[in-house]
This record gives sequence, structure tokens and C-alpha cells, in this order.
Amino acid sequence: MGSTGILVALIVVTIVLTAVLLVRPSITAGTTGKILAFVALCVLPALCIEAGMSTHMQRSEQTQFCVSCHSMTTHGQSLYVDDPTYLAAQHFQNHRVSPDMACYACHTDYTIYGPFKDKLQGVKRIYIQYLSTPPATIHISGGYSNLQCLHCHAGARNFEENAVHHAMMDSLKNNQMSCISSGCHDTVHNASAVAHLKMWSPGQ
Amino acid sequence: MKFHKLGIQTFIRIASVLIILGAVVELVSLRWVHPLAFVLFAFVAVSLIGLGILIYLASLVFAGSTAGEKLPAPR
Repeated sequence: MGSTGILVALIVVTIVLTAVLLVRPSITAGTTGKILAFVALCVLPALCIEAGMSTHMQRSEQTQFCVSCHSMTTHGQSLYVDDPTYLAAQHFQNHRVSPDMACYACHTDYTIYGPFKDKLQGVKRIYIQYLSTPPATIHISGGYSNLQCLHCHAGARNFEENAVHHAMMDSLKNNQMSCISSGCHDTVHNASAVAHLKMWSPGQ
Repeated sequence: MKFHKLGIQTFIRIASVLIILGAVVELVSLRWVHPLAFVLFAFVAVSLIGLGILIYLASLVFAGSTAGEKLPAPR
């Protein structure tokens, strides 16, 4: 039984015990009933919230979660572009990041994963997605931080020993020079063009 | 109607209904992997379950004061 199965079992037990209290609240007159009420109406529901939040956060790290939004469809397709200059596609296709968590691997500070301000941004994006009109081109507010690259690449031999990287290491670490918009790795998703590009099919 | 006039059983019934509703919504939200499922859980299920817990805890406070009022006067 996986973690979701355990959570479902926990929720079902909570519902059953709470239903007993709903039908017969008089049992709380006794000591056993009081303990049952405390467990069913306080402890188990609190566990349901905590475990539910944990499960949903884990699920939100899946590639499937991110690309299920209509405005992210082309970003998801860009992972299959058959062109080695496409940064996101190369990371995805060569398993430099886990394919199941491809978005989260490079956007660990994005919306709900970041601090409170980013979480509010996430809520705003959900509002735009379902109750407003999403922009044609999606930009990350504040730009893309090099830290997202460096949390994997920093310390890696082929990254550190690369003469170009070595020469500008301080600028990269201070985020003064962007990895993706300084003429080096500037083709990332290019989502608006995916319809016209040759795509890679896994297994072919 | 003042809260302290409501019996603890009324509080428990209200809390139970809210928690069951929240738990059912949480079960539904676990059915699919989608941002709306997260929203459903975070805003609806958590609110219902959280409110149910608060009402139950409130019942402990109000029921305690009600019981105190019923105690016989010390001689």
C-alpha cells in the first residue's frame, strides 16, 4: 500500500468514526466517548490535513501535474523537441533530470514550491488560468535564477573545469550573469515555436 | 442564539458534518493529479476540516462553562 493508500484509509477511518459521533453524539457523555470524540474530531482530521498537504505537494512536483494546465501544454511539448540546443529538452530526454519531475527539477522556487510570495503568485496564476485570459507568452516574474542550475551543476567536474564557466563563476553564482539569457544557453523552451519543430518520440 | 446555549451534542454534530464533508472533498481531490485538485484540497477540504476541528474545540470550552454553571453552590 502506497502513501496515497494509507491516506485514503486514514480518511475513511476518520469518516466512519465521525459518522458514529454524528449519529450518536450522546456517547461523548462517557470517558471513552470523550476520547473517541477527541481522536475523531481533532487528531485524525488534523492528520488528514497534514498527510493530504504532503501528498498534494508531492503530486504537484510531477511533470504530469504541470503540463495539465492548458497554458503549459506547449512547454510540455518542448521537452520533446529533437534539437540538442534546446536546454529543457536535452535535460529531459537525456535524464539529466528525472522525466517524472522534469519541471520541478529546474523550477524548485516556482509558485507553490517557493516562499509565501511565490505561493501567492501560484494562486494568481490559477486565477488567470481559469477565470481570466492567460498571456500568450509566460514569463517568470523576477527572471530565472542561476541557483536553479547551480544546485545540480555547482561542484560538477565538467561544469567547474569548463574554461568559460570558470572565468565567470563569481558572476554566475551572484546571478549577475544569467545562464539562459547571456548568449550561452538561451534556447530553453521556446514554447511558441514547438508546433514547427521536429519532435523526438521515445523508443524510436 | 448565543453559543453557550447550544449543547455540546449540537456542536459535535456540526463539527462532524463539516469534517465528513471535508474528508469527502479530500478523497475526491485525490482522484486526479491536477492543479484544480490541489485548489480543491487546499481551499475547500482544509477549510471544512479546519472549521470542524475549531468547532469541536470550541465545544470543549463552551461545554465546560455550561457545566460550571450547573454545579451546586458551595455550602
